[in-house]
Amino acid sequence: MTGAGPLPTPEGRPTGAPAPRYGPPRATIDRDRSKSWLRRAMPIVAAHRWTFATALALSFAGLVIQVQVPQLLNRAISDSIVRHAVPLSHYGWWVVGLGAAAGLTGFLSRLFLFRTAYAMEYDLRNVVYEHLTTLSFPFYDRVQAGQLISRANSDIRSVHLYLTFAPMILVQSAIAVVAFGYMLSINVLLALVAMVTMPFVYVIGRKMRASMFPVSWLIQARLAEVATVVDENVNGVRVVKAFAAEENQLRSLASAARRVQWATVKDADLRSQWAPAIQNLPQVGLVLVLLFGGYLVIQGHLGVGAILAFNAYLLMMQAPFTMLGMLIMMGQRAAASAGRIYELLDEEPTVVDRPGAVVLTGCRGDITFDDVRFAYGDGSGPAVLDGFCLHLDPGETVALVGATGSGKSTVARLLTRFYDVTGGAVRVDGTDVRDLTLASLRANVGVVLDEPFLFSASIAENIAYGDPGASRERIVAAAVAAGADEFVRALPAGYDTVVGERGYTLSGGQRQRVAIARTLVVNPPILVLDDATSAIDVQVELQIHDALRELMVGRTTLVIAHRLSTISLADRVVLLDGGRVVADGTHAELLATTPRYAEVLAQAEEHEAALAATATATAGATPSEVRP
Amino acid sequence: MTMWGGGGFGGPMGGGHTPGRPGGNLPFAGIPAELQAGVDHLLAQEPAHPAPDVSFTQVPLAADERRITLVRLITAHPLLLIGSVALVAAVATAAQAGPKLTELAIDRGMIPGHHDLAVVGLMAGLYLVATVVTALSQRWQAKVTGRLAARVLYDLRLRVFAHLQRLSLDFFTEEKAGVLMSRMTSDIENLQQLLQDGLWQFAVQALTMVVITVILFTMDVRLALLTVVMVIPVLVAMSAWFHRASARAYQRVRDGIANVLADLSESLHGFRIVVAHNRQHHNVVHHRSVVGEYRDANVATARIGALYGPGTQMVGILAQGALLAAGGTMVIRGSLSIGALVAFFLYLNRFFQPIQLLAQQYSAFQQGNASVLKLRTLLETTPSVAEAPHARPLPPIEGAITFEGVTFGYDPARPVITGVDLTIEPGQTVAFVGPTGAGKSTLAKLITRFYDPTEGRVCIDGHDLRDVTLGSLRRQLGVVPQEPFLFAGTLRDNIAFARPDAPDDDVRAAVAAVGLTDLVARLPDGLDTVVHERGQSLSSGERQLIALARAFLAQPRVLVLDEATSNLDLQSETRIEAALDVLLEARTAVLIAHRLSTAMRADWIAVVDGGRVVERGSHAELVAHGGRYAAMYETWIRQAAPEAHGQAGIGPAVPAGLAAPSAPAGG
Repeated sequence: MTGAGPLPTPEGRPTGAPAPRYGPPRATIDRDRSKSWLRRAMPIVAAHRWTFATALALSFAGLVIQVQVPQLLNRAISDSIVRHAVPLSHYGWWVVGLGAAAGLTGFLSRLFLFRTAYAMEYDLRNVVYEHLTTLSFPFYDRVQAGQLISRANSDIRSVHLYLTFAPMILVQSAIAVVAFGYMLSINVLLALVAMVTMPFVYVIGRKMRASMFPVSWLIQARLAEVATVVDENVNGVRVVKAFAAEENQLRSLASAARRVQWATVKDADLRSQWAPAIQNLPQVGLVLVLLFGGYLVIQGHLGVGAILAFNAYLLMMQAPFTMLGMLIMMGQRAAASAGRIYELLDEEPTVVDRPGAVVLTGCRGDITFDDVRFAYGDGSGPAVLDGFCLHLDPGETVALVGATGSGKSTVARLLTRFYDVTGGAVRVDGTDVRDLTLASLRANVGVVLDEPFLFSASIAENIAYGDPGASRERIVAAAVAAGADEFVRALPAGYDTVVGERGYTLSGGQRQRVAIARTLVVNPPILVLDDATSAIDVQVELQIHDALRELMVGRTTLVIAHRLSTISLADRVVLLDGGRVVADGTHAELLATTPRYAEVLAQAEEHEAALAATATATAGATPSEVRP
Repeated sequence: MTMWGGGGFGGPMGGGHTPGRPGGNLPFAGIPAELQAGVDHLLAQEPAHPAPDVSFTQVPLAADERRITLVRLITAHPLLLIGSVALVAAVATAAQAGPKLTELAIDRGMIPGHHDLAVVGLMAGLYLVATVVTALSQRWQAKVTGRLAARVLYDLRLRVFAHLQRLSLDFFTEEKAGVLMSRMTSDIENLQQLLQDGLWQFAVQALTMVVITVILFTMDVRLALLTVVMVIPVLVAMSAWFHRASARAYQRVRDGIANVLADLSESLHGFRIVVAHNRQHHNVVHHRSVVGEYRDANVATARIGALYGPGTQMVGILAQGALLAAGGTMVIRGSLSIGALVAFFLYLNRFFQPIQLLAQQYSAFQQGNASVLKLRTLLETTPSVAEAPHARPLPPIEGAITFEGVTFGYDPARPVITGVDLTIEPGQTVAFVGPTGAGKSTLAKLITRFYDPTEGRVCIDGHDLRDVTLGSLRRQLGVVPQEPFLFAGTLRDNIAFARPDAPDDDVRAAVAAVGLTDLVARLPDGLDTVVHERGQSLSSGERQLIALARAFLAQPRVLVLDEATSNLDLQSETRIEAALDVLLEARTAVLIAHRLSTAMRADWIAVVDGGRVVERGSHAELVAHGGRYAAMYETWIRQAAPEAHGQAGIGPAVPAGLAAPSAPAGG
């Protein structure tokens, strides 16, 4: 449109920006829901296979080196100390060399391993975040932020730790195979006796898995409950304080925390039931070795040294088995966590670009709502809009008036395609908005929401939110138009003042003005003001109106209005009642012809009349006097 | 969606008195089908938890004033701690019985000439007993330490949360919500593993090392001394380095995760703006850099850990090399037997094994400590509006509010309010008007004691607000903030926020008073409909009405309405006017008005500008006075007039005379 300025790139950042230091995630999870959680995570593991394989190979090498040390000491004792065949220093240097090699491989394998772990975490976190940005409003309507934050925190951690350390532990467990080989080479029968308890380890491990999975899931779910209480408390702190509801909130938290406590104690109890058995079964193997091996020694089939060797080897197997127990536990948590993350990632955005969606270019600003029906939720509930028809000519300003709950804001949300219509169609320049790309539609439709949320950044950055490349001149110009320039300049650091997370340091009216400036800076051909000036005092509102009136020239504007003063901005007024347009015309026409419009306004009449001139003057008409 | 949608809206779970409680009834608390049976089975075992016996005090209890350390956390439950320590000792000792029993079995039962299967059998039997004892000790240790950890974390959650509740509003405006979230979630969860398992593994390993050191000394003092002299100083030096380096690095990790969660939290809460402004891609790139910094911090700690862990391992091997040289020489010179050297090496192995585990546990310990430090910083933040030690409960008030020479600035160097003197008689309705940023809302925040004046004092019925308890003050005040905030929970919970035990009739009366009866009738579950902060089932007007109902139910003596009616369309506004009349009756009320029309319903008006009350009086008096208010009023009419003409221009059918303001109504 005229002077609409360069649209932001579809990606929303200025072209030519330096390549970001941190790249996109290397892989995402497998979309196939029928696969096990581990298989679905495989693409992420595979994306880091080289560092991962290096870490595992080095870890194995380190293990081999470690196993050599006792052998070397054995030979040193027999060759140098008992037989004096080789100088002691020879073995001394060997040990030093092995020590250095073990240190180096250990260092490198750990470094590579942790790099892999944190690289996978990086991928997972970004995959989840990027997926969250694609999801549509209906999803956010039913999900609590605390839930999402909890999943993005503890759940991701338990998954990536398992993905990294499980293979590591398995490699370390290879030492058990080596040890078993040595045992077999000494005495096959005794080796089998020593290993007789191992099947039980496996069986108990499975049982432990089955019994602990639900409790792991329960813990994660309940941690999310705690997170939700905290999230709401932090964001609703003013209400909590104003009503001295601290104790109630503390009770909410206490009961959530109590539920976590119960679940973790249950977890400890279940674990105490299985884990000691898994850890001590190899010891039972040692008892059998002592008993059966002792019998073999007494019978003369075995040397005493073999008992010591078996002891050493079974001891080597002890660590892997302890770790395996840990692995099963980690696996529990990871599986439960992965389920919760996949639940998120499997959520499909409902409002998406259709295949073949076209880019909206040269937008004229012709808007049609054609027999629109809409219901929140899955569409089966009560319709908010039903048979809603409205046409806006390019450059026209239309005010949408209606009682609370009549669906005014919904109209704005359908135009920006925050939601898709349940029936009928919304068209911009004759094209169904569902056939346009979301990015181009939203770049052309600027909306000032009734929720003036500001981000923790400077005011300038907040105003340039929709166009981060905007020059300071454009930012200031937008602020001037929105009536924000004056108070912004009075702030300690002017436009560079950082506002708090929810813009707390600014008053509601000031935040609304920053929000208006934020939309104006994008300079969209279509403008939607959803109750955008409700918290601004009238004098300032009038100033903004003057500025807006200029801005509205050549721009299609939909004003969702509560105030008569705001209605006066419009060329045409539309009355919304029962989900459809019941009257359409100028303010005066509606007053004259539509009893319902007069009725809606008349409900304010007594109040307005009693308040006399001021309100009357603002509105430009006193309903009481209008009545024929 | 159907994947877990089955368990969706099932009505409130459990006694839903507490608005903050999320309950499992919201959608997206999905449970995989294969888990359902297991979880049901678990939940069947869960006793009904009694209503939590917690009370909130503005002044922390003496016990909560002490700075937290890991030691204090675990010593808070001495019985469980003693049990844990005893069981740890039992585990460490019972596990060392094996080698000794094996040695006895060999020496007394297998050495040529001493063949005795009975002795071997006896020792094997004892070994089995020792193993069973070990397993049972471990079992009990897991139970006891699990309980200890769960209780410590429960206490800690409550303590940190209670402290958050005490902190003043300015703290919440300066700290990002996500950072506070990470303290309450990530940092506390980080301690879970340490307290439940890590700390006790650490103790077992350390104890094992002590036991083996003792054994080494009984075997050969010279070699044992050599070991101690060579190994211990190096290990101590390495540990000291690790302690310092990792403490810094783990702090960076804690900051990193806090930033990640803060960024996420902000994106989630500002989602609508992000979408409306096409910022998704930009935000994704930004999130990558935040996560990337967190990753880099983690990799830095990994590097430190990778030096420390394998480093200690290398020291172990090198020590064995040195012992080989020293011990071997001793054997060659005949001052040591080969058997003794072999046994010494065997024990030396058992000595170095725990070092490895110890090093691992030590990093867990350092991570936990970093979290404790973060929590400590939070707990040591003092609220700027604190309850005085001598504060008394405010007796039931009449509602006289006085400002005496009040000066206040969020930043003391930049006062927002200067030298305000104001008296509001009980039962009066006063409107604050003035330009945005003039200090209207700030004056209201001083009445609710969200902030304390820098100079002067604010009194209610002659009580300086700083001398009364915060709870007793705020229970007699009702506030309708600019933005209504809904908590996850039912509509009833949200309305009965100030009085969770309010009878149904009272709730319905409040609903009726603000004209929400229609809405409640329209909602599927009536008052039991679950709402939450970003739910779109309610319009902003309806949310505002809920906030009003909330204030209505609280039946406060003093009501503060912060631009509360500005978000309503005319119809809703009219609906609540009547309710407000009832609500304001016989109450002191302060209205922060942006519209002169709202201001005019007050008994008198205070015009605030530049942090001062520049004029006061009734609407008629102020207009007659011809000062600031009259000028505002004039401007309003003058600016509105051309607008009305413009309107007339657009709509030709406007009857003549409409544009002209009618005369002010009397009264």
